[in-house]
Amino acid sequence: MKINVVSRILEANDRLAMENRKLFDRSGTYVINLMSAPGAGKTTLLKKTITGLAGQIRLGVVEGDIQGTYDAEQIGSLDVPVVQINTGGACHLDAGMISEAVASLDLEGMDLLVIENVGNLVCPAEFNVGEHMKVMLLSISEGHDKPLKYPLMFQKSSALVINKIDLKPYVDADIGKIRKDALSLNPSLNLFEVSCKTGEGMDGWLNWLKETAIRHSKDSPRA
Amino acid sequence: MHEVSIAQSILEIAEKECRNAGHSTIQSIEVVIGSASGILPDSLLMVFEILKDETLAAGASLVIREIPLGGSCRGCGREFTTEEQFVLECPHCGSPDFRLLSGRELNITAIEVQ
Repeated sequence: MKINVVSRILEANDRLAMENRKLFDRSGTYVINLMSAPGAGKTTLLKKTITGLAGQIRLGVVEGDIQGTYDAEQIGSLDVPVVQINTGGACHLDAGMISEAVASLDLEGMDLLVIENVGNLVCPAEFNVGEHMKVMLLSISEGHDKPLKYPLMFQKSSALVINKIDLKPYVDADIGKIRKDALSLNPSLNLFEVSCKTGEGMDGWLNWLKETAIRHSKDSPRA
Repeated sequence: MHEVSIAQSILEIAEKECRNAGHSTIQSIEVVIGSASGILPDSLLMVFEILKDETLAAGASLVIREIPLGGSCRGCGREFTTEEQFVLECPHCGSPDFRLLSGRELNITAIEVQ
């Protein structure tokens, strides 16, 4: 006997992602999913963001790594609530992992939650975890060919932070090409050029992030 | 990639539907995989054969229907399909302004039970 089924295979993850999102909206917490290749500077960007927005906005962090607590320890030393997820082998975070992680966070007291995904230019883009926005980080030392080689990451993100611009004299990356190719994949991408090391360009990123999070808190009705 | 977790989800959904219908054996599962979904049909088949043991689908076959990438161009107004897994521009006019109509599907459409 044949039974017709109308089901998306990723339905279970997306259902959990929607429940996570409802939780975040109830507490008025704006959530970003920060993605990049390993070593692009996610944790450093996060640390600079935390210190740059200190006193202006209440932050929380979920760290995702295959193994270890190094990143969570770095964030914890800045006196910000943080939970470390160890995937034990999975190459990306999924909605179920986030659901478990945020259970130990006080979301009511949080304006902005940053989920630092596993370093990976492929898989994180494919999975919604309930975030309001995906943010991509690309360091210029990775080369200007990355947008066209890893298109989904750029298409799924709302913002691209181009990092390590202090290395311009030492690498051959064409930042203009990065911008052009990224925008061709996603014309609505918000672009930022920063150096987490020197602080150049960070004000633009910090102000945009703060305004986006605060605007969301004002717009979303809280239960 | 992720064929393992996709195959696990396929088996979970199929078992649930089978039980809900009051049956206990799945003979086949039909799925639709878009060419740009990131899932390789051959890998999915291989993994399915390994994972189906000790489930209600232990003797089942996985039937995969592949859907090509297709879009509608806002530049020239025409629709297109392609064998490629990714498109940056309309193959007719070269415009980057198009919307995808098909190719990212990852759906389970039917099961045969007894």
